[in-house]
Amino acid sequence: MATNFTVQRSTTGNIVVLALNGFLDAHTAPEFEKVVQQEFDGGNVRLIADCGELTYISSAGLGVFMSFIEDIREAGGDLKICNLAPKVAQVFEILGFDSIFEMVPAVADAVKGFENPAKEV
Amino acid sequence: MSSSATQQTPQHTAQSGLSQSRLESLLESAKLLSSHLNLDQLLGHLLRTAMGRYLITRGVVAIRTEAGCRVEVSRGCAALKKGSDFTPEASLAAGLELVFDIGAAEAPIGTLALGKPARGPLDAEETDFIRALLGLAASVIANALSHGESVSLNQELDQKVQELRALLDLVRGLAATLDPEEVARLLLLTFSGRWAVTKSGIAAWKEGHPPVLRQRGLKLDALEHQREAIGALPDASVLMAEQAARFGLPAGSMIMPVRSGGETCGAVVCGPRMLGAAYTNDDLEFGAGLVAQAAVALDNSWHFRDTIGKKQMEKELALAASIQTELFPKQLAKLFATDVAARNRQAKQVGGDYYDVIHMPSSHPTEEHLVCVVDISGKGIFASLLMSNIQATLRALVFRENSLPIVAQTANDLLYATTPSNRYATALLLIYEASTGACRWVNCGHTDGIILRANGDVEMLACSGIALGLFPARTYEEQTFELRAGDLLAIYSDGVTDAQNEAEEDFGTDRLVDVLKQHGSLPAADVVERVFEAIDDFAGSAPQFDDITMMVMKRGAGNMA
Repeated sequence: MATNFTVQRSTTGNIVVLALNGFLDAHTAPEFEKVVQQEFDGGNVRLIADCGELTYISSAGLGVFMSFIEDIREAGGDLKICNLAPKVAQVFEILGFDSIFEMVPAVADAVKGFENPAKEV
Repeated sequence: MSSSATQQTPQHTAQSGLSQSRLESLLESAKLLSSHLNLDQLLGHLLRTAMGRYLITRGVVAIRTEAGCRVEVSRGCAALKKGSDFTPEASLAAGLELVFDIGAAEAPIGTLALGKPARGPLDAEETDFIRALLGLAASVIANALSHGESVSLNQELDQKVQELRALLDLVRGLAATLDPEEVARLLLLTFSGRWAVTKSGIAAWKEGHPPVLRQRGLKLDALEHQREAIGALPDASVLMAEQAARFGLPAGSMIMPVRSGGETCGAVVCGPRMLGAAYTNDDLEFGAGLVAQAAVALDNSWHFRDTIGKKQMEKELALAASIQTELFPKQLAKLFATDVAARNRQAKQVGGDYYDVIHMPSSHPTEEHLVCVVDISGKGIFASLLMSNIQATLRALVFRENSLPIVAQTANDLLYATTPSNRYATALLLIYEASTGACRWVNCGHTDGIILRANGDVEMLACSGIALGLFPARTYEEQTFELRAGDLLAIYSDGVTDAQNEAEEDFGTDRLVDVLKQHGSLPAADVVERVFEAIDDFAGSAPQFDDITMMVMKRGAGNMA
């Protein structure tokens, strides 16, 4: 089964960038959920999902984003989404994610969003 | 262009300048109108052109839809806002005197309505210009309308495709797991992703299994007490304020009962959608479908666990049975001229009967043996372990202790100390002196032993003390008798006398005595077999739940070694 999915973690200051790669579907969503949970538990609430290498996302995958956004924002942080391929971006938009999440072209834009909160959605 | 201009009079020049500007405007409009398909921009341009050209301060464009004529663009006209109904009366009331159909007069696709031109009334040529402009716009508007329709159709289609993807993805995910928790997790992820909800939860219950409870932002702990109310709900519904309060959920939540067979075994709840969006009928259908899939998966995983549990228990029972079998003496100790035989038959579950004939070295030079039948409470692996405990205890005790009351008392204290208070064993302990036939015995809560004398008399070895392991510091008194030539002694577990037939009657002591009398002349082993046969004949097809243990001792005529 095509369940190749990896997350690569890096940091920019106190911002954690999670680079998603591959298929984020029902099989792999629990894995991503674990990663985000770990960050949240570790007190890292300024998160950027770099979706540049994300080739597919299903509802279950999107569910992970929804599952954490309230907790993260309540803790004073945010989960920003960037670098979406057009096909994947379409899924986010169809389901209305663009009105809930800050979705920007590049990691740098997301970082700026954190540094300059006035620009936040 | 310049040559024709020089031939014209000033008045002509003004006239032709006007008509040239009209042509230019038409050309510009034609270009613009065909360059993009966005209806708003298109109508905006139309209105701007007319208003700019005739210095008009208010105007609207209305488009005919199935529901009637609706204002699409409105400028300087508060009375007729975008989206309001457009009627000739409303138009007049709003001060829009100039009204033009867009498209063919017999089937116009819309209307352009304008206020009073500051430049004065329009002449025929200006009216023609407007008509030309609208004619040009009509087909473009028609195109834009159908484009808008197909965009919204496409969006609907996208949603459906997305729904199907989610369903397919979930079904695939569910197929890969046999863990109820994992099923719950996948389902909630899919819902919260599909509907962009941050609050969701599932509670599901199955007898013999830990409840499944996952919740984010909702409290579903108490739902189990409302199973009936949940069962009465449709497959998916949105909870209004009052109903929501009854379940302790936020109003606007969607609730979907989890059904398995005719039973309600749980509920899935998704909190209200964000940004005030409502759940649609499509959403309800989709939700119900997904939950139905998950219900099957939950059922499967529960069933799988049951099977595993059963297998595990069977394994345990087999192990217990083999432990127990190992504990029975392979061969009973030789008791000289006394013929002794015993047999134990386990019921379906591993029980706790035990018999033994143990040589007592402490009694040397006489030939004494401890003969016992023990019935241990409970079944399964625990009974097996207790049985091995009792065997070791008795063997160790008789190795150094000749007093039967002390053996019984010590065994009682040891068992009491090492087992839970609800565990105990009944036992008939008898020390047999093979050379003389002398017997000393205690009956610790056990079924009566039977002595069938050679002359046909029957004597019972009735209960004389409390079962082993129930209470601490008990004392036991021994009694004695002599087993003489031709006498038969039967010691057995209550599985013999409690065996039931289809009418739920007990086999009982009388029937047992009859069998012993009838077959008492046979060798001990055969007598034991006859007893089993008699029990089986009696029981017929009635199921037997208890272990059956039967021991028979017959003292022969030549009673010396």
